[in-house]
Parts: sequence; structure tokens; C-alpha cells
Amino acid sequence: MDIVFSAATMHYAGRVALHPLSLSLCERRIGVVGLNGSGKTTMARMINGLVKPTDGRVTVDGLDTITDEDAARGKTGLIFQNPQHQMILPVLADDIAFGLKNRGLDKVEIESRTQAILERFGIAHLARRRVHELSGGESQLGAIASVLVTGPELLILDEPTNQLDLKNRAMIERTLAALPEQVLVITHDLPLLDGFDRVLVFHEGRLAADERPQTAISAYKRIASC
Amino acid sequence: MLNGLDIEGDSLLHRLPVRLKLALLFAAAILLFLTSDLRFLLPALSLALVLLLSTGLGPREAFRRVRFVLFTVLLVALANFLFVSAAEGAAVFCRLAALVLLAAAVTATTGISAFMDEITRLLLPFERLGLVRAADVSLAVGLVIRFVPEILARYGEIAAAHKARGLPVRPLTLLIPLIILTLKDADTIAMAIDARGFRRH
Ligand SMILES: Nc1ncnc2c1ncn2[C@@H]1O[C@H](COP(=O)(O)OP(=O)(O)OP(=O)(O)O)[C@@H](O)[C@H]1O
Ligand SMILES: [Mg+2]
Repeated sequence: MDIVFSAATMHYAGRVALHPLSLSLCERRIGVVGLNGSGKTTMARMINGLVKPTDGRVTVDGLDTITDEDAARGKTGLIFQNPQHQMILPVLADDIAFGLKNRGLDKVEIESRTQAILERFGIAHLARRRVHELSGGESQLGAIASVLVTGPELLILDEPTNQLDLKNRAMIERTLAALPEQVLVITHDLPLLDGFDRVLVFHEGRLAADERPQTAISAYKRIASC
Repeated sequence: MLNGLDIEGDSLLHRLPVRLKLALLFAAAILLFLTSDLRFLLPALSLALVLLLSTGLGPREAFRRVRFVLFTVLLVALANFLFVSAAEGAAVFCRLAALVLLAAAVTATTGISAFMDEITRLLLPFERLGLVRAADVSLAVGLVIRFVPEILARYGEIAAAHKARGLPVRPLTLLIPLIILTLKDADTIAMAIDARGFRRH
């Protein structure tokens, strides 16, 4: 699926978070790196239409995120920096069903899809658990399940291994590698990007490099050291 | 009371439809308030206790869930006992405690999503009158249940941070950081609701 930024810009109260960005993304595995505050989250939320460009436009599979907001959003799923912030209902299975309910599916369909996704991620035993009691790794898997259950073509993850221990980090790495969906990952965890098709480096709201992982990571290291 | 989790089971209460349970709870509340006769209120309280325990909730867990509200009930009853009469105090206690136990029994046997669906259905007539959006109200209920424990936990953290820095722990001074942090998260959570395709218009 093609994501196209056409001079997409973001200002917050006069400050520029993202300078005009033009680029087209279609690779299966895309990484995004950059220092804190460099505009990564802003760019990712633009793809999902949660942040609307103040100038320029973003299209997802040809759909404009402003004029075709709902249709464009349906094609992508976003995992927030803190997965706990995106679990909206108190019980995991209900939270996973939330996105399906919003699409007006019937009860039987909702139940079978919820069950299927819980099993796909090996978390069926957590179905009735309170979401605020889930561990970091469990929350992350739950959040991924709750987003993938509606069948987006592109999954965007904002620092998915941020608060995870080594074991859960490896688990998320395996989970991502096995996903058939197109994936865009923002991360400070550079080894996660091994084998990716393309890595974008952001610096002060601008795209500073756009390369294969090794080259991009060297560029990022140069930026970080000055 | 609603922040207790429903428990799995197959008791009578588990099998009753949500709507019937809510209607019965409502009817029980009216009956309890119609009389101050202890010959009626005492058996009612015992029945409520039996119903609560029949849900499969152990006595310890049952007590843990209702103790806070029961404590408040006790205070109200005590005030009546002191300022009105002993009989009135006993009646107030039995009446309110029975209601609390019944509500806890309904909560323990009703899944939150079934509960939200029922709220949506009950509010549909009002939605047709253009007064509310039923889905909004039911989402609001879900959000409260979801985030109350989180906010309480955060209150605990802020209190601990104050202690660690040797600051006095006064509820009012803790409230300000609590509100700021909560509002900051609220923004993200609102975004998450959009991201999951919830219609706000
Ligand atoms: N809602 C907002 N209001 C005002 N400024 C914002 C808002 N969101 C982001 N910004 C600003 O925009 C810039 C880019 O922020 P963004 O969150 O995209 O960075 P990031 O690359 O994701 O950083 P991090 O690695 O810390 O998550 C920052 O200077 C930030 O302060
Ligand atoms: Mg970010």
C-alpha cells in the first residue's frame, strides 16, 4: 500500500514540528529513527489522520486523510507510545471488540474475530483480565491485537519495545517479523530494524536520511554525536 | 462497586438477562425504601447476602468489594442511630446494606460489555428525542471503570513521590499534579478513541 506525503507540514502554535515533507512509502518494513522531539510521532500520527497537516496533504492508498478521513484511517492501525493509553475498555476482550463494534459488525462476528485474534497472539488466557493489571509485554500484545483485529493493511508502532525487558523485547521482535501486514516502526531500539527495507531518519522536523538500515543508522549516529 | 470484575459462573444471577437484573434491582430499591419495618428489612438483608454469595464470589472477596461502601453506610446509620432513634438507625443500615449487596451481586454477574450494551439500549429512546448519544454515555461508563483504578494508582505514586522527597502528603496538594497528569493522558486517550474508529459526530 502506498503512503504519500505531499509537502505535509505541521505547526504547533507557531512552532514547526514537521517541515514540509514529501515522500512515498510502499515498502513492507519501514523504520523511523531520530532524536527526541524530531517529529517522528507527529509524522506517524499524520498517516493515521489523527494529526492533520497544517499545509500539504497525506494520502493512504490514494485516500486523503482529511477529506476521506474515515476510509483512510480504516487502512492503517496505530499502536501508541504507551499501549495502556489505547486500551479504552476495562476488560481485554471487550477492548479488542471495541474497534469491531465501531464498525457495526454483528455480535457473532465480533466474538469469533476477537477469539481468533486472541489465539493468533497467544493471549487467549488473558481475555477476561482487567487491562490495567496487564504487564508491559501483555499490554503491548493486547494493543497490537486490538488494532489488527479490524484488518488494517499497515500497522504503525510508536516505540513498541520502549518499556520492555529483554525477553518481551525479543517476543515483540518475533511477533513483528511474523506479521504479514505492512509495518512502520518508530524506535530507539536500533537492532529491531535489522532486515528492514527502508529506514527514515528525522532531525529537527526534517527528513535527514532515507536509506537502507545500515547506512541510515550510521547517519543517525552522526547526528546524535554532534 | 462497579470497579469489581465480573466473575465467571453459572449461578441464577449469571443466567438472568442484564435488563431483568437491573429492573429487579430497581424494584428492590423501591421496596426497601417503602418500609422501615425490621421484620421485612432484616430478612431482605439476609437474602441479599445469600444472593451475593451464590454468585461464587468467596466471602473474603465479597467483603473486599463492598467494605468501602458499607463503611459509609455504617456512618449514615450511626448518625441516624444517634440523632433519630435506634430503630431508625438499624432500618437505615439494613436498607442501604441490602442494596449495596444486591448491586454487588448484579455487578459480579454482569460483564461490563453486556452492561454497556444494555445502557445503550435503555438510552435509545432518549437518543431519538435528540437528548443524548447512547453510545457516548455507554463509552463514558466504560472509560470510568477503565481509568478509575489507574487514577487511584497514580494518586498513590504521587503520594509516594512526595514522601520520598520529604514533602507533607496532603490530599489537596496531591490533587494538582494528579489533575495535570490525568488531563495530559486524557488527550492521548481521546486520540486513541478516534484511532479505533469511534464516531464522535
Ligand atoms: N500537541 C502538541 N502541542 C505542541 N507541540 C507539540 C505537540 N506534539 C508535539 N509537539 C512538538 O512537536 C515536536 C515533535 O514532536 P514529536 O512528538 O513528533 O517528536 P518525537 O520524534 O516523536 O519525539 P520522541 O522520541 O520524544 O517521542 C516537539 O518539539 C514537540 O514538542
Ligand atoms: Mg514520539
